Order: sequence, then structure tokens, then C-alpha cells
Amino acid sequence: MKNKQLLFLLFLLVVIINFSCKKPQENPLVAETGHISFKFTHVVDGLPLQIDTMKYVNAAGNPYSIYDLQYFISDVTLHKSDGTKKVISDWKDIDYIDIHIPSTLTWDVYDSIPVGTYDSISFTFGISGAKNKSFMFVNYPEVNMMWPDLLGGGYHYMMINGKWQDSINQIENFNFHLGIGQLYKGNATNCVDSIYAFVQNYFNVTLPNSSFTISEGSTRHVEIIMNVDSWFKTPHIYNHNYWGQNIMEIQPAMQMVKENGYDVFTAHVIQ
Amino acid sequence: MFILQTMENIIKMKYKYLFKIFSYKQRVIKLMLGLFLLVTNLSFAYSQITKDTIKLTPVVILDNSVIKKSYLKSAILKVQIQNEEIRDVGDFLRILPNVSGVRKGGVSVDPVVRGFKFSQLNVVLDNGIKIENGCPNRMDPVSSHVEAEDIEKIEVIKGPFVLKYGPSFGGLINLITEEPHPYDKFEIHANALYGFETNWNGQKEHISINGGNKKIYFLASGNYKNYGNYKSGNLEGHDMTFSSSFKKNNFTGKLGFSIKPNQNIILSYTGINGKDVLYPALTMDEKSDDTRIVSADYKARDLSKFVKVLDIKVYQSNVDHVMDNSKRPGYSTKQMIAEVNAVNTGGRAEITMQQTKHKILAGFDFENINKDGDRTMTMQMMGTTSTKKSNLWDNALIQNAGLFAEYNTFFSSFEFNAGIRGDFNKATSGDTLKIIKNDVNYFNAVNSQYMNLSASIGITKKINEYFNVSLALGRASRSPNMLERYIKLMAVGYDNFDYLGNPQLKPETNNEADLTLKFSQDNTGSIYLNGFYSYVQNYITAERLSPSVVMPQTQGVLGVKQFVNTDYVTFKGCEFGYTSPDNFSLGGSMVAAYTYAVIPEDTKYVLNGTQVTGETIVTNDALSEIPPFEATICVYYKFMKGNLIPKISFRAVAEQRHTSVAFYEAHTPGFGILNLSLKYKVNKNAEINTGINNVFDRAYYEHLNRKIIGTTGKLYEPGRVFFINLFVNI
Repeated sequence: MKNKQLLFLLFLLVVIINFSCKKPQENPLVAETGHISFKFTHVVDGLPLQIDTMKYVNAAGNPYSIYDLQYFISDVTLHKSDGTKKVISDWKDIDYIDIHIPSTLTWDVYDSIPVGTYDSISFTFGISGAKNKSFMFVNYPEVNMMWPDLLGGGYHYMMINGKWQDSINQIENFNFHLGIGQLYKGNATNCVDSIYAFVQNYFNVTLPNSSFTISEGSTRHVEIIMNVDSWFKTPHIYNHNYWGQNIMEIQPAMQMVKENGYDVFTAHVIQ
Repeated sequence: MFILQTMENIIKMKYKYLFKIFSYKQRVIKLMLGLFLLVTNLSFAYSQITKDTIKLTPVVILDNSVIKKSYLKSAILKVQIQNEEIRDVGDFLRILPNVSGVRKGGVSVDPVVRGFKFSQLNVVLDNGIKIENGCPNRMDPVSSHVEAEDIEKIEVIKGPFVLKYGPSFGGLINLITEEPHPYDKFEIHANALYGFETNWNGQKEHISINGGNKKIYFLASGNYKNYGNYKSGNLEGHDMTFSSSFKKNNFTGKLGFSIKPNQNIILSYTGINGKDVLYPALTMDEKSDDTRIVSADYKARDLSKFVKVLDIKVYQSNVDHVMDNSKRPGYSTKQMIAEVNAVNTGGRAEITMQQTKHKILAGFDFENINKDGDRTMTMQMMGTTSTKKSNLWDNALIQNAGLFAEYNTFFSSFEFNAGIRGDFNKATSGDTLKIIKNDVNYFNAVNSQYMNLSASIGITKKINEYFNVSLALGRASRSPNMLERYIKLMAVGYDNFDYLGNPQLKPETNNEADLTLKFSQDNTGSIYLNGFYSYVQNYITAERLSPSVVMPQTQGVLGVKQFVNTDYVTFKGCEFGYTSPDNFSLGGSMVAAYTYAVIPEDTKYVLNGTQVTGETIVTNDALSEIPPFEATICVYYKFMKGNLIPKISFRAVAEQRHTSVAFYEAHTPGFGILNLSLKYKVNKNAEINTGINNVFDRAYYEHLNRKIIGTTGKLYEPGRVFFINLFVNI
């Protein structure tokens, strides 16, 4: 009798601790959507950007080279002809691109994109004022884009660092940076105490030739091309000899850059 | 055997006695050899660094589980604590079966019982004092606020069965410190300890004085610890040094008054200070931690024929915690400092009544937890300095009031125990933070209140004189803690993410069944086998938030996770323990434990490099941070009437392959560690305890050890350590 009791209790124990180990299984989510992936390329005069070579000449006739190119785009929006749109923001709404970090040159978008035909793609170059807050990035590489609080805070929209040959044939460094601008009292510049207002210099870009279709379960690849030379022309000729090395405290220069930026980007939808 | 017998002859033990115990010895030796082979086979199969890994902890576990309660209760007494090399209570507790710990640095290992951790465990001091840890990263779990040298007894109760000290979700750890007691005539006594261990070049000092007379009595003690950085064991020809140094000191003063022969009151003050405590697995180090605990405890016994005990306690614990990154690379360009103040004020009253075989305990308790803290970040960039100050907790408040009762009785060959507890829990915060996206409130309303009901019931059937079987059923609910409700963007988990609190979390509930078989015989020892199953509802876990909702604030993390409730998870496991009888020269113990935990459905974010490109649902996924199977065997021999005791222990830990797919949790290789120790009682006033931990200088890490910050590598355990402790009692 006792043995039976013992066996029964041992059986109970085994039942309680039954290790019916089921293997984990991954099940992809299924929906009537597709995906989109962006590839970022950078060209000068139609050819891929080559860094650290003084082979380029801008519209103002300044020979120049580039060794850093970093920027943010945000609030990428896919527009349909019926007026509806899909703002890419399910995972991230700000994307950082850096020519030295290959992983940033491709953005496999997390969002599920409803199937259909889209007329165009637009985005904010830089980060809108509502989102561009200091300390929102604390990690490399984005943290290096920090824009000093005294000059408006937040983060650079873009940093192009390079060299140009000046009017007396000396090689100078330039920091072609775009971010929040400042308005100074009187003629004072570079004097933070005389700043009385800040100017948001982000702008909206609509990519020409960016219509595409998304089909169920597929991924549409779109190349976003920055024509770097365009920053220095149309509608304004940008002259390094005139604006000098740094422009982040010169709002008129940044205004010019902003206005030049509308046609800097083009798109190529990969079929 | 020959050596042992020769030594026995040398010390002239009586052959008659030896003959008497011969058969017992044979049995024990056979058992030990069997277990040893089992454990060594396991360890070799799962050797972490390959080759012949061995580890040992020189510990004899006198598990008191073979008692009348229907649940597992382990008790470690002062005499056992004194035999061990302990620099940290949480670290020491890992000797118990199915008790593990989260290591983030050299000290303050955070206990984990059967995979339950943090607030899922009710860790109390002196039968009811609670301490709210100041650090969001849990640099200061409750167990770090007490020094082993001050402890009289540690009780560990697994499961949601003991409810009188507060909601006990996954288990109870009760750290009971020494108390002063009255003397017939005035007496004064003192004891002191000096300990040193290599590797860390760590030293510890302890002194305690107690005395008094019938009416007034006292205890004063102080501790000092100063440890350097430790090195891991030898890994392919070299070791690694971890920034793990720490300094701690504390002072305790207790004063007792005998109001009447059966009534006394004890007033207590403890001040604990930590300084420059380094945590290589966290983003910051502890710059300072100042904790003050005051309490008053009134006890009355035999108040009437029916009322046996009345115990009333009030306390306040106050933790000032400061941490920064001043000892980290990059400090010159980015400085972070966080300061937190946590105050827990509470009390409890319980009355124990007994009428014949019916014992009833009833009472109430309350606690008021207030937490406030902020973080200041300063960055030097482009020649300018930017500073941001943000709160971690903003005058957050949790109030909990509970009523509890226990009932114990016996009839025929059955013993019966039951407990019930009701808690009213209310929380609020001064937070003004609002995170709302697409009409989803991620962090908004900060007030919440819950009524939780917990209950347990247990029955023990005495099969015969030696063997009994127990079944315990329990259900316990706990409300979310300060961290889970209100923390703002700190890397407090194991997975290199910033965490965001969730003020609207629901309480989680553990429904558990324990079945325990116990056998105990004077000449054979005690054996128990336990199996448990837990069904946890509204389990609190975390899910990743997108950067478009909130961005991390800690350098080096991958993103942000927020605490959420998941439907349910299950834990199941088993434990085995054997302890030899204490009345023979040769003795030992063997424990083994395993826990298997599953979450039925979890979200896995698909990564392409560091980019999140999609998500999948993982079914039957492993819960993260669950310790693997492990076993420890310990053998000792008492020479010279027990004045000289060498011990050898071996701990084998299996590889942990059942890891969370959704959390990308890595596997942990198995390992085995060998420890040796020798205790020598010089005379009635002096004792020496010396030994070697990790004899073969193995490089290994526990599955629950955190990763070194900024890397994917885990924090290793210390390599070989020679230690010596000198005790003096007067």
C-alpha cells in the first residue's frame, strides 16, 4: 500500500514538473502590405562623390574637396494620387546618413507600406523644430551632430566638411554646416549675447521622378541621390571666398544654403 | 581513504567508535562518490572554457527544509556564515539550490530565486524592515545594505507561501541581524574579525561589542571593507581585470530595554556607506551610497493563556545614492551624474495566538515609499557646454497597507498551514512627462491603485517516522514597483536598453504549486525532492519602443524598452537536496536545481545590423535571465573533535541553451568550480578560516552576469582567490 502511495506521489511530481520542452517558433506577421528600402548615394556633377580629392570646382569657381558628409532626413512621406499619404514613423522618423558609415547608406524601413501606387516621396531635410531637441541623441554617430545650445540647440541638419582653394591659392578648411540659425542685434555676429531670435532652417524636399508601386509582400528599393554640387548653385551661387570657413553663426549664408537645397535631391526607383 | 584513516589514527580516535560508524561511512562514501561522479560528468560535458573545468564553493548547506512546513524553507545560521568567505550577502546566497544572482560588479549581487528576481522577491531585514533601493540600476539591492558579519540568520522561503512580511510573489529572503539580549548580571563581550583575500587584495574588518544587564542591554558593531579590482580566471593564457573595486563601511547600534520579564523593546540604528563602488556592467559607478535605518521593535510574550506573542515594529530606511561616470572613458566630453533619495517608512504589528493545536497569527503592515531623483548630463561639443537635467523619479510615492493571517494545525498524520493577505496599493508621482503617439498613451496618467488578494494553503502527510510528503498551493499578487511604474530612460535591464516606466501597469500574480518529498533519518541524513509549477498572470516584462516614440538617454544603449504586462508565463522546476547527519566526522551535502520558464508568445524585432526592419512573433520562447541546471557537492571531515575541519566542494553548472529568442539572449557555456577550505578552532576565543576558491583558476561567468557595458562580453567571476579570516571572541 505504501509503495503504491509513493508511486502515485512520484507520478504527481513528474506531472507537475513535466518538461515538455516545446521549441520556440518564429511566425512572421502577415498583412496586405509591402516594404520600402532607401539607398543613399552622393554624386558631384553626375559622378559618384570621391572624398579628399581637390578635383571639384563649384559654380563660383572655387576648387574644393570634401572629406565629411553627414545629414539627417526626417518625416519621409509617401504620397498617393488620391491625396492620402503614409508618413514613415512606425519605427523611426529621423534617419541619419554618413558617407563614412556604410550601414547608414541603406535604410530598410520597418513600416509596413499599404500596397498601391504612390506618386511621389517627400521628406524634411534636417529635423523639424518640434522634434529637434538637445540630448535627444546620446549615442554615436548622431550625437556628433549636436548643435550648441547657445546657437539654438538640437542637432545639425547637415555637416559637409572639406577644403577649398582660396583666392590667393591657399588651401582652407570649410565647415558647410546647416542647422538652427540665429538673429543678432545690430551688426553683431559671433556674439551669442546679442542673439535675439532663432531661425528654423529645415525645409521640405519633394523628390522628382519618385513615383512607384508597392505590391503585397515585396520590397521596393528607391535610390535617393544627393547632388552635392547643387548645394553651391541654383538659385544662389555660393562662394567659399565670400562666406569663409564657418557658417553656422551666419544666418544669411545658411538661408542661401537652405534655398539651394530644394533641388539637391533626386530619386531613382529601382524596378 | 588511507590518508583519512591514517590521520584518524594520529589523532587517536577510538577504534570502537570508528567501527560503529564504519557502516555509515561506507554508505555515505558510496553516496558521495555516486553524486560526485554525476556532478563531475555533468561539468565535464558542459565545461565553459573546455578542458577540465572545476569549481568549488567551500560551503556546507544545512538546509532546514526537512521541517513541518509544506514549503521549502532554507536557513543559514551565523556559524555557517562564519565558515565562508563572504564579501557580499547576495553573492553568498548563490550557494543555495535554485538561488542565483545578477552580478554587475564586484559586490551587490542581486538575488534571484527560481528565476524570480527584484521585486518578485520579498527581501526584508529583521522580520519586516524594508529598504527601497536608491539606484535605478540596482547597485544597492536590499541584501547590499547589510553585512554578513552582522547577520544572525538568513531565511529563504521559495514560493508565494509566507505572506506575513508583505506580498511575497516568488519568495521571501529574511535577513535577520544580531540583536542584543539581557544578562543576569552586567557582562560585556566582544568579537572581531579580520579577513584578507588575494586577487582583489581585499580586506575586511569587523568588530562587535555587546553586553548589558537584565534591564538594559546593547550591541554595537562596525564593519569596513576595502577591495580592489578582481581578475578573472585564466583564459587561454591570460586573465582579465575588471573595474570592480569598492569600499564599504557601516555602523550599527542597538539598545534594548526589558520593560517586564516578558516584554522588551529594542531601538536600532544602522548607517551604511558605500564609496567608489565600480560596476563595469553598468553605465555609471556608485560614487557614494549613504543608508540610514532606524527602527523600534516591541515584543511581548505569553501575555495570556491564549496570546503567545505580540510584536510591533516601526522603521524608516533612508537611502541617498549618487552615481556618475567619472571613472569611465569619455568623461571629459560627457558627464553624467544621478542622485536619488529613497525613503521607506513603515511598520507592522502581529499577534500570535495558540489554543491547543491551533495556532493563529494575524496582523497588519504598511509602508510608505517615497523616491525622488534626477540625472544631470553635461556635454562638451564644439567648444561649448550643454547641460540637461531630467528627473528619474519625481516625488514618486507608493503606499501599501496589508492585512494578513496565518493558521497552523495538525490532525492525525497531517499538518496543515494556510495564509491569507490583502493589500491596498496606491501610487502617484509628480511627473509631468507625457508620451503619446497615435493616441497611444505610453506615459501619461501617473495615478493607480490596486487591491490585491494573496492566499496560500499547504498540507503535509507524514507517511512514516522518516518520510513525509507536502503539497503547497499559493497565489500572490504584487503591485508594480517604483522602477516599473516611473523610471525614466535608464539602462536598468540586462539587455543594453534604456527602460521607461509604465504608470498603468497591472499587478502580476503568481499561482504556484509545490510538491515536496522529504526523508530524514538520524543516521542517514536528510533528503528532499521538490517540484514546482508557477503560472504567472500579467507577468511584467518589457517591450521595445520605437525611436519615433522615445529616444534613449544613456550612451551606448540600443534603444528604449517599456515595462508592460504580458498575458502569462510559466515556470517549472525541481530541486534535490541531501544533507548528512551532523553527528559523524565525515559529512557533506549535495544540492541540485533546475528551472525552466516559458513565455507563450513574444515579439522579436528583426535586425539588419543595428536597424530594426520588422518583427515576428515567437511562440514558446524562453524567458530571459533564467539560471541553468546546477549541482553542488560538498564533503568535510571533522578532525580533533571538530576543531579542524577541511572541506572540499564542487559546483557544476550546465550550459544554458534555453534562452530568449525574442531578446537575442546568448547561450552561456557550462562550467565547474572547485573550492577548498580549512577551519581551525585554536581555542574557545580564536578561530581561523582559510581556503582557496576557484582552485584551478577557471575563467567563467554565470548566465545571469551582466554584459560589460559597451561590449557583448559577460562580466566574469573572480579567478582563484586565497583567503584567510581570523576570528576573536571575548
